[in-house]
Amino acid sequence: MDGRLSVTRRSCRALEAHHVLTRGAALCLLAVALAAQAGPNSAARVRTFAALPDWSGVWQSAAWPLDISGRPPGGEAQLRETLQLIHPPPYNPTWKAKYEEGLKNTADLAAKNAAFKACTRSFPALMEAPWMFQVVVLPEETLLVFENNQVRHVYTDGRDHPPEDELWATRLGDSVGHWRGHTLVIDTIARKQEPLAPRAWLSMLSERAHFTEELRMTNKNELEDVLTIDDPLALAHPWRMTLTFRRVKELTRVIDYDCTENDRNPVVDGKLIITTP
Amino acid sequence: MRYPKALLGAPLFFSLMQALAHHSGAMFDDSKSVTLTGTVNAFQWTNPHCWIQVLVPGPAGSVEWSIEMGSPSLLVRGGWKPRTLRVGDPITVVIHPMRDGSRGGLFVSATHTDGTPFAAPPSQGGT
Repeated sequence: MDGRLSVTRRSCRALEAHHVLTRGAALCLLAVALAAQAGPNSAARVRTFAALPDWSGVWQSAAWPLDISGRPPGGEAQLRETLQLIHPPPYNPTWKAKYEEGLKNTADLAAKNAAFKACTRSFPALMEAPWMFQVVVLPEETLLVFENNQVRHVYTDGRDHPPEDELWATRLGDSVGHWRGHTLVIDTIARKQEPLAPRAWLSMLSERAHFTEELRMTNKNELEDVLTIDDPLALAHPWRMTLTFRRVKELTRVIDYDCTENDRNPVVDGKLIITTP
Repeated sequence: MRYPKALLGAPLFFSLMQALAHHSGAMFDDSKSVTLTGTVNAFQWTNPHCWIQVLVPGPAGSVEWSIEMGSPSLLVRGGWKPRTLRVGDPITVVIHPMRDGSRGGLFVSATHTDGTPFAAPPSQGGT
């Protein structure tokens, strides 16, 4: 047994030990063993690839059906129905008190809203962002490639998260995953502390926040991501929500969204303006 | 954990002041629609927004308005192309104007001066 295989087998067993899955851990071990022997076009890798789902196409959060002005046709009322991360997290009493204290600063909240602009999102807000994306499913990892050039790497080669002394917080965190049938189970840790989503300026989580996702195709035009946020320091109980993505039927390719190309909306004195070309 | 209704309403109220994808929409007055008729001075097919520059004739000569649209990817979905508009094209545009009174606004619709639209959404090619 070579060293790499030994390490990845340990990672699979770690998944089992964490009760992430049991049958899945066995499949994980099998896939890793096959991959360890496989070249890029080996029969084993081709078979593994062929067993994975086809999620090709262009996708977008169902929370953001945008018109050509860049806003939801249903406006604010529509967002009220669709965005989930803007709701108050189920905080424990200590964090709830901090949240409620922040609500009193209405001037600060209003100022943040008036001057808000963003070209990127942290995780998990990226999964509820307006930007279209492609899902690239490979045996070793699944990539979510967003039009704004953000990429989520979800490694499915059996690895575990890096050890603590090699791990630091980032805006997208560190994600590893495994397949349970045609459902991609994603485990994410090490998210940088910042408001949970744009517009939810008071919704903070601790450095112990832990995210689990179950991403699957529910029909040929819809993906579903069941997201569970757990944070033993901040939340009274795990926060579970279902995010939905719709196939963008009008597009057959992801079109680049370089937010810096021609930004004519600077913030001046706390307000967005329009500059002349 | 239950929150008082008043607390639930407050963050939602503030969060929903803007409905645009890229930045706050507070700068635009959604309660007003202004119709501009003039000619295209430029059509910027750029990120994060496409822009129509419209020259609108007035008593003291033409003045230029800046009309903000969505990104190219959104325009393509709506049937627009980089050369849908050309410099000099007569155009009628409806906008939500800037609250600060500057000559700009958020795109609502655009038609040729005879009322026909410039573009229509493409047939849906996906499966």
